[in-house]
This record gives sequence, C-alpha cells and structure tokens, in this order.
Amino acid sequence: MRVRRAQPARWQQVPDGMRDLLPAEAERRAALLGVLREEVRRWGYREVETPTLEFLETFLVGAGAGIQDRLFKIVDSRGELLVLRPEMTVPIARLAATRLLQTCRRPLRVAYVAPVFRGQDAGQGRLREFTQAGVELLGDSGADADAEVIALGLECLGRAGVRETLLHVGNLGFLHDVLAGLPDDERDELLVRLYRKEFTGLDGAVSDPAVAQVLRTLPDLHGPDAITRAAVVARTDEGRAALDRLAAIIERLADYGAPGRVTVDLSIIRDFSYYTGIVFEAYGAGAGYPLLGGGRYDGLLERFGLSCPATGFAIGVERVLAAAADAAERAVDFHIILMPQQRSEGLQLARQLRECGKVVVVSIADGAVEPVISDAGVQALSVIRGTGASAQAVTPDGGASARTVIRVDGRYLRVTDTATGRERILDRDELLVEIRGRPRAVAWTH
Amino acid sequence: MDPLTLALPTGRLFHDAVSLLRRLGVLDSSPLERSLVIPVLDGMQVVIAKPVDILTYVEHGTADCGIVGKDMLLEQERDVYELVDLGFGACRGVVALPADQVALRWRPGELLRIATKFPKVTSRFFARERRPVEIIELHGSVELAPRVGLADGIMDLVMTGRTLRENLLTEVAEVFRSTARLVVNRASLRTRAARLRPLLDQVEAAWRS
Repeated sequence: MRVRRAQPARWQQVPDGMRDLLPAEAERRAALLGVLREEVRRWGYREVETPTLEFLETFLVGAGAGIQDRLFKIVDSRGELLVLRPEMTVPIARLAATRLLQTCRRPLRVAYVAPVFRGQDAGQGRLREFTQAGVELLGDSGADADAEVIALGLECLGRAGVRETLLHVGNLGFLHDVLAGLPDDERDELLVRLYRKEFTGLDGAVSDPAVAQVLRTLPDLHGPDAITRAAVVARTDEGRAALDRLAAIIERLADYGAPGRVTVDLSIIRDFSYYTGIVFEAYGAGAGYPLLGGGRYDGLLERFGLSCPATGFAIGVERVLAAAADAAERAVDFHIILMPQQRSEGLQLARQLRECGKVVVVSIADGAVEPVISDAGVQALSVIRGTGASAQAVTPDGGASARTVIRVDGRYLRVTDTATGRERILDRDELLVEIRGRPRAVAWTH
Repeated sequence: MDPLTLALPTGRLFHDAVSLLRRLGVLDSSPLERSLVIPVLDGMQVVIAKPVDILTYVEHGTADCGIVGKDMLLEQERDVYELVDLGFGACRGVVALPADQVALRWRPGELLRIATKFPKVTSRFFARERRPVEIIELHGSVELAPRVGLADGIMDLVMTGRTLRENLLTEVAEVFRSTARLVVNRASLRTRAARLRPLLDQVEAAWRS
C-alpha cells in the first residue's frame, strides 16, 4: 500500500528567496543585461569576474563586522570559512588592490554583472540571490569621476526602460559635520539610529539640542534648495567641502544632459560602512526601493593594501525588471496592420507614433486582415471597415472602454470612441497630441 | 496618479490611530476595523492590516506610510523611515516569571525557556544580559505557556499589568518601551515628498498640541 505524502518533497521547491526563470523572464533579463553591458562598454568600462565564493575574512576586512549577519556562510572540506559574495564592490576592491592596479594605469574603469547572495530573513519578499550590474571607477578622486559614474548610472536606467527616474545624491561628509564634536559613544549610537532610519527619540540620544534639531530635519534635506539649507547649519570645513563637492557634481551633471533627473538629498545613508563621501540612490516609477545605489569609497582599497580613491554604483537587476514590468507588458502600444498599397501612410503614422515615444509594430497584410490581427495577439477588437477598408491600427491594451476607432477621411481622421459612440474630427497632429500619454485602441480604415 | 496610501493597524492601536486621522480630517468617520481599503479625500486611501503586517506593506512601498508600534519595529528591523513618535499606544515589553519561581529561577546562568511573540527582541535582550535562553515563539496568549508548563516565563507587552497579575506572573526585567510610530517608505519619502510632507506636518502638529 502506498503511503500518502503529507508534504511535497523538497525537490519540488527551491529555497526561499531563490528563483527559477522561465523563458520569457530569462529572455527579459538577458535582454536587460545586454543593454547594460553595451552601455557601460561604450563608456570604456571593461568587465571583470570574481569568484562566487570568497573568504569570510575578505568581507570582514572590506565591509566590517556588521555585515556578518547578512552573509551566507559555507565551511569547506578543510574547515575554511567561505561566504557567498553579498555584493561586488569588496571583491573588486580586493582584486584591484592585489592585482589589477599593480599593472594597469589609473584611472581604471571596471564593470561587472554577477549574482550576489544575502542570508537575510526569508519570508519578507526579499531575494536571497539576486543580480547586480555595476561599475567601479578606480584611481580618480575628483568630482568629474563622481559625475561620470552618476551620469552612466542614469543612462543605464534610462536604457533599461525605467520611467520617472530620479537620482538622489548626498554626501556623508555633511553628516560627519553635524555629528562633529559629539563624544565618540554618542556618535556611534547616533550612527546606528540613523542607519536604521530611526528619527524618533533623538532628543534623548543627543546631548546637544542643536544637533538633534538638525538630525530631525535630515529626512527633509532634499530638493533644489537642500545645499543652501544645509550650508546654514554646516560648522566644519569638512561639512562645507562636502556641500561644495555636491554642488560641483550637480553642475557637471548638467553638462551630461541630466538636469531634472538628479536631486540633492542629504538624508541618504547607504547600508555599507565603506562609503566615505558622495552617496547616491536612484528611484523610479512603481518601485518602493532604490533601483541603483552607490557612492565613493576612498578608504576601501587601502584595507587591501593599496591606497586608491574609488567610486561606483550597482544596479539591482531584478528590481529594475520589476519596476519596468508594466512597461514591458505594454511593450507594444500600437500594432498597425496595413495593406501593401497603404505602406506610405501607415509607415508615416508609425514613425510619428514612435516619435511620441510609443512602441509601434507594423504588419503588412497581404490579403485578409483578420489572421494578421489574430497572429499579433490582438484581442477583442472589432475591426471597423468602411468602403475600401485597407488599414487598421489597433492596440492590444487599453481595455474595451478606451478603444477608439479612427477612420482616415481625406486629410482628416474621424475619431470614434466605441464606448460612447461619439465621433470627433481631428487632423493627424491633433491625434498625435491626444495620444501622448494616453494609450488607446485605434482602428483606422480608409 | 496613484493614491497616497496610509496603512493602519487593527487591534490595540486602531482606535487611537483612527481618532488621530479624524482630528487631521483625513477620515470623516470611523471605519470598521474589518474593512480593508477606504478611499478618502485628496487622492489618498487608507488600508487596514494586522499590526504584524504593517511594516511589510510600507517596506515594499504598497503603502507609502503607516502607523505601527515600536514593538514591531524592534522585532522586524525593516528598512523604513521611523519619523514621528505618535505617543499613543504606550506599553512596555517585559520578561515575567511565575511569582513563586522568581527567586529560584531568575539567576545569572540559569537557562530559561521563554515564550514570546518577539523572538528576535527577546534573543537580543538575553544575549545583552548574558543570560542563557531558549525561545519558544507563540502568536497569542503567551501567558498561557508558563501555566501549562510550555515555558518557564514570558516576554510580552504589558500596559496595566493586569494580565500579568491575573496569571500570577511577576515582571523581572523591562526589555523595551513602545508607543505608536509613523513610518514612511524610503522611496515615497523622496519621490512623493510633496504629497507626504503636508501629512507629516499635520501629524507632527497634532502630536505636539
């Protein structure tokens, strides 16, 4: 008699926080990585690889004892304590200090794409294996290096299809300024609180009420006037220099054509202890966490025996894929299906829609239109054919209520909302204006 | 534009949180505790969830901000901004043993089995105190555990101390003090600052008055 199994066998599952990727997901990820690799290559960053396993000591030296709780640890057959790398900056600093910079000229630009592992609590919706794609610029301590890395990060997110990207740049030098002069134990206690983003009860933790006051406003120290507001409270040369550096970077980013996508944010405190100055995080539409993070870590390489300034960023590839998810579902905004004799008009409309930022696929129907529509995966479209029906532009999303039918009538378009039956007459420019930001189903007959 | 979403906890903090929101004019009546989503004015919505889940919503950004007890923040250590101490919902986390066991068992080096809803906080506390401990995680009525011999003592929230007295338990150590906190998602704090700020200011003003 067979015994009924109470629980599914282990092999039917994968560990918490780990994932299988099905073809569609794997293809999306591969496509994204291809885009990112190509972009950083164009900026002169050359890819390196480091082993998945490193000695525990490497991370204790590089990132401090605080990282212990977040590591996946392994004991090998000789009893060596190894860890699955939790991030890539420390391995690259090790590689650069012990090998690369011994032979290469500075500044050195390196890139990586690698799975990293965190032993964090399961069940919080956090991945324990995820992919980081990033760059490190080693051997240049200037504001131009910071600006280059930030501009490249923005470019990468743009190419990845993240919408409403905003990158926040701060400088830990300002925080050091605020905490300057406090007793060491008080400072350490405050840094722990700030690292935990705990902004309540500061009055009790700081002996100097003026410091408590500044720290309380820290979460609000972002936006165009943040530097001005911070300058009022900066007391030390280090603090003023930190703000000057920020201003210089913002100025340089304007030359990269990135205004409007960068903002000053002095509340940023990253979760690795090796950062020494400039720190930044980028956010995008639809993500409750940063998609990209990085900063300057001028002291890290010295811990591996070679003093060298450095800056870099890492992109959370799975986070970017999730943030760009609805963009991908709407990958095709318009599917224009036309008869060969309509090529000229159809392709012109397609080009104009693409200029509006729409994704347009064109199919030439050599015969009946319906099979092409069905092959294109277009659902629930009632094709309206007037006399001499020859071209339809339809979009696969937008739902029934948003579907609009457009008939070309001389130089005008007759635009009908199929939900209400209301018809308006527009010219093509007016249609294009209307379409911006409002994906609609369009059927166009002649 | 997505509505600005505020997560409210059911249970202990619910009524005080609702009255705060009514004072601010965010809510114009008291919702049922079992409702899930309440659309309110000005492109805002309020979602109601179990206290233990509030931080999950806020950390992932499905709620932009939320009201939650410090006890949950200490236990879950999530990546959210804790911005305002709202003052209400005051309670303490304490270790308590059966009154007749205190003298015998609350001694350095004595291994205790402690039942609690807060395994991480409890474990950190005992480590700090350098006392050995074996933790038994429960999800409710923790005070039952020593009565039936599941544990030697408990680590739990107390407000008035009545439950402890009724179960013949005596507090031996205070682990933390808790009140309700306003927490904010780290992306929302930056990307939705213009919409969050007025709410945060109102909350702070209401709290100071």
